[in-house]
Amino acid sequence: VNLDHWLPLMIVLSSLVPGILIFCLPERRVSLRTAANMVGATAKLMLTAVMIWGVFHEHIYQTRLPLLPGMDLVLHTDALSVLFATLSAILWFLTTLYAIGYLEGSPQPRSRFFGFFSLCVSSTVGFSLAGNLITFVMFYEMLTLTTYPLVVHRGTEESMRAGRIYLAYTLTGGAVLLIAAAWLKALVGPIDFTEGGMLTAFSGLYRREFIVIFALLITGLGVKAALVPLHGWLPVAMVAPAPVSALLHAVAVVKAGAFGIIRVVYDIYGIEFAASLGVLGPLAAVASFTIVYGSLRALNQDGLKKRLAYSTVSQVSYIALGAAVLGPVATIGGLVHLVHQGLMKITLFFCAGNLAETLGIHYVSEMHGVGRRMPWTMVAFTLGALGMIGVPPLAGFVSKWYLGAGGLAAGQKWVILVLVASSLLNAAYFLPILYVAWFEQPKGLWPEEHYRGWLETHWMLLLPAVITALLALAAGLLANAPFSPLEWARLIASREYGP
Amino acid sequence: VSFVELPADIQGLVLMLGPGLPFVLGLALLLRRWQVAITRLNAWSALPALAAAVLVPSGIYKEFSWLLLTVRLGVDDTGRVFLFFTALLWLLAGMFGNSYLSRDRHRARFFVFYLLAMSGNFGLILAQDMVSFYLFFALMSFSSYGLVVHSGDPEALRAGRIYIYLVVMGEVMLFTALVMLYDMTDSLNLSSVAHPPANEIVFALVLLGFGIKAGALPLHVWLPLAHPAAPTPASAVLSGAMIKAGLLGWLRFLPLGQVASPEWGGVCIVGGMLAAFFGVLVGVCQTNPKTVLAYSSISQMGLMTVAIGAGLSSPAVSPLADVAVITYALHHAFAKGALFLGVGVAPATKEGTRHRWWLALGLGLPALALAGAPFTTGVVAKTALKLAIAPLPDPWPGYLAVLLPLAAVGTTLLMMRFLFTVWPRRLAPFHEAAGLRLPWTVMVVFAALSAWLLPEAQAPVYKALSPGALAPALWPVSVGLLLALVAVVTYRRRILRWIPSIPAGDLVAFASWVTRPCLNVFRNYLTPTLQAKSSTLSRSFSLFQDACKKAQFLWDLEEVMSRWIVVVTVLLSISLVFFSLLLLT
Repeated sequence: VNLDHWLPLMIVLSSLVPGILIFCLPERRVSLRTAANMVGATAKLMLTAVMIWGVFHEHIYQTRLPLLPGMDLVLHTDALSVLFATLSAILWFLTTLYAIGYLEGSPQPRSRFFGFFSLCVSSTVGFSLAGNLITFVMFYEMLTLTTYPLVVHRGTEESMRAGRIYLAYTLTGGAVLLIAAAWLKALVGPIDFTEGGMLTAFSGLYRREFIVIFALLITGLGVKAALVPLHGWLPVAMVAPAPVSALLHAVAVVKAGAFGIIRVVYDIYGIEFAASLGVLGPLAAVASFTIVYGSLRALNQDGLKKRLAYSTVSQVSYIALGAAVLGPVATIGGLVHLVHQGLMKITLFFCAGNLAETLGIHYVSEMHGVGRRMPWTMVAFTLGALGMIGVPPLAGFVSKWYLGAGGLAAGQKWVILVLVASSLLNAAYFLPILYVAWFEQPKGLWPEEHYRGWLETHWMLLLPAVITALLALAAGLLANAPFSPLEWARLIASREYGP
Repeated sequence: VSFVELPADIQGLVLMLGPGLPFVLGLALLLRRWQVAITRLNAWSALPALAAAVLVPSGIYKEFSWLLLTVRLGVDDTGRVFLFFTALLWLLAGMFGNSYLSRDRHRARFFVFYLLAMSGNFGLILAQDMVSFYLFFALMSFSSYGLVVHSGDPEALRAGRIYIYLVVMGEVMLFTALVMLYDMTDSLNLSSVAHPPANEIVFALVLLGFGIKAGALPLHVWLPLAHPAAPTPASAVLSGAMIKAGLLGWLRFLPLGQVASPEWGGVCIVGGMLAAFFGVLVGVCQTNPKTVLAYSSISQMGLMTVAIGAGLSSPAVSPLADVAVITYALHHAFAKGALFLGVGVAPATKEGTRHRWWLALGLGLPALALAGAPFTTGVVAKTALKLAIAPLPDPWPGYLAVLLPLAAVGTTLLMMRFLFTVWPRRLAPFHEAAGLRLPWTVMVVFAALSAWLLPEAQAPVYKALSPGALAPALWPVSVGLLLALVAVVTYRRRILRWIPSIPAGDLVAFASWVTRPCLNVFRNYLTPTLQAKSSTLSRSFSLFQDACKKAQFLWDLEEVMSRWIVVVTVLLSISLVFFSLLLLT
């Protein structure tokens, strides 16, 4: 067997096969299901490690399967796909652990949950490894469909409504994306993702069509990336169980959109070509507006998860902003935030889930003195929140530093203003939470205390949150170390911009 | 001057332990089972930083290329002096705090924040690159929030709130300034920042961003609230050491000695002198001794700002200005530290003439030093400042020759006010006075000696010892003492009946004083009339309310957006519009 040809497929299958297996298992086979989950997650981690090593040494892994005449299913590994696939592999492992702890004793069918959970991750890895636009769109749609059962998992009226809204948004977004993809293929033939941009070869042709297709692609992707005004589904979808929200906000759905925008800008259009078409300005404007608007809306949310959801709206657009500013430094900022935002936001959602599961806390106004009751959870939350504000040495600082420096290097000083406004607003909605949790006295009984044990909560809930918080710290503190997200983003940027 | 030659590895280790040891101990304090052991050690974790200041020669850098965006630590000539007094201050205040807070329920929490802020303060002095400077600055600023709100009473919480607002503002300004500097110089090293192309925005951001920490005039409002609100040992390091971080930031990031900038120099000189007098005028109206000292810090930092301004005005003056800033910072750190610790010692002093005399000496000496009495360290600092001002272009030396002695008169008056407010009338026997007295005594000794022994300050030391220096140093203090005497006598005899009461945090208090009546009018008058709905005024207000409701409706557009049919229609029509655009053109 030639590993070069099959490695990408194996990475996708490492969660697809356990997913299908779990569907076939009866509900009561808990340990077998857990084993399938963990074996799959571990296998994916190891395969990803092999892939990182290979890509770093300029090795190319590619799976090409004929799909339709003139249309191939291509999975291949370039530096960008490795960045994202690694993030999803690591976070899937941790989220699976978390989900097992979270759903212990829940009345809803857990086979269904974990089955779709694995499929969801398969599609995430699938679109990150996709080597052409068609493959990307396929996995992108698969992600939409496999996430729906997770969003409505609780089956309550509220979650069914959230699911409907989610589907309405993402399916229409997907349709728009598909139209754009088909149109582009009709114009220029098969669209393979190429470092430096594949449409650069067509510069001078179809200028007007390219502009419109760009707008359509971004509109389609912007639904998942929650660009304002297409973000309406995200704050509603936070009714999903905490592990789903965590994955949704950190790697799966929201990031699918952001990742797609990066692919479109760099590997389909090519950043220089896109700049010459004049489409980057509007994208940057929309991203900046989203950054500020999301933070403004987060300010007066009392629901903890809702506040975090609006914070995601704001933070994910950093990635789009980085993609929309010309120049390697801004590119690095946007790319590295793809990872950093994931680490920080998943920490925050894990912590929100811990608070809800352990003490029944759903609102910021119930968090008085919770730092004393759940210190480790709140330490993790604090790290995530300070990172979001951009306090060094946490990961968010590195992103902001590169985005700011990139904006200045491109002669676009307003980027700094957007970052400043966003940092101030982030501080305004995160610092009060930290204050209430650490410095206020508890008001009395917690809303609904479930867990009393040796640790502050179940170890499977606590450990993932602490690990991701440490990862968010390490990503910033060790930013210059080899194989850090920042180093990897630099590698991608150097390949995108050429020598 | 290094006494012992250390091996290179040890030098690197000492540099690393400087900020590293307090940080690790601070985190370890979070674990309950280690608390007792670590609490005994906490103050001593300042020793590596002190060792770095004394033993590591200039020009040795320890670089961690894998850390953050490359962390570079080292001791330079300016940093050495700052590190020396900072480390000693944290060490002595920490020892003081161990006794002072021995009965405090939240003692461990206090020392967690204390050690983290200490780590940040050492780190920012040792940092030789922008990002780690920013990192340690943020660590110090955010950790000292915990020191400010420690007591948990409403005043402390209010002080903490105002403090944290300004910290966040400052962080954001500095972030912007540093990114811009990085963009201009394309390097993170502080030594290359020393040659930035002049840029007005960076200038303003650096002045304001560090001005918050240094208590520069309109940004000082947090200081008289936060410094007194913190427990006494924390006040000592806040006012003695941490406030100097702003000063060091100016030295590091302003193009002193590179670019002549008479405009910004003038801004600093004028702003500094204003702060010097403002601090005195508001300070003498205070009743809390710690607030008096906080205002004195604002006033003294104003004089250091004048020195910075002199250096900015002309590159030729900047070496002299550097000496003035360093000397002044050293002198002020120990004097102010000793005074703040004295606030804690005074109520714990035993009855009896001998004890009273020692107390008077320990409080009076640093107070006289701040006022610049002959043979105190203050006279060295003031001489250094005068030497820096003398070569300035014309109107400045003339103006300042008049204003500086007046400021000294004011400082004397302020110090008398302090002694008056701090002098113990009741006894508070619960402190372990012995544990308080030793660190305080050491601090007073340093306050008496510091600037005399500073190698960089040779010129001012000789000048201050010359016979001609006696009279100019003596008369402002004498006048100040006389004024204080007159004030006391007239007050006792009911001639002077009224002392204006200015609340601490002057401008903030003023702002809330101005807005409160407006709010009251709104609450008491407009709201009832709105409910009554009788007059035309209220009708127009209800129209306004309706308008607000409509705006609210717009704001909640998202409710509409989350109906799926709307979404589908909107998205499909967007794509239709795009298509038709293409077909039409």
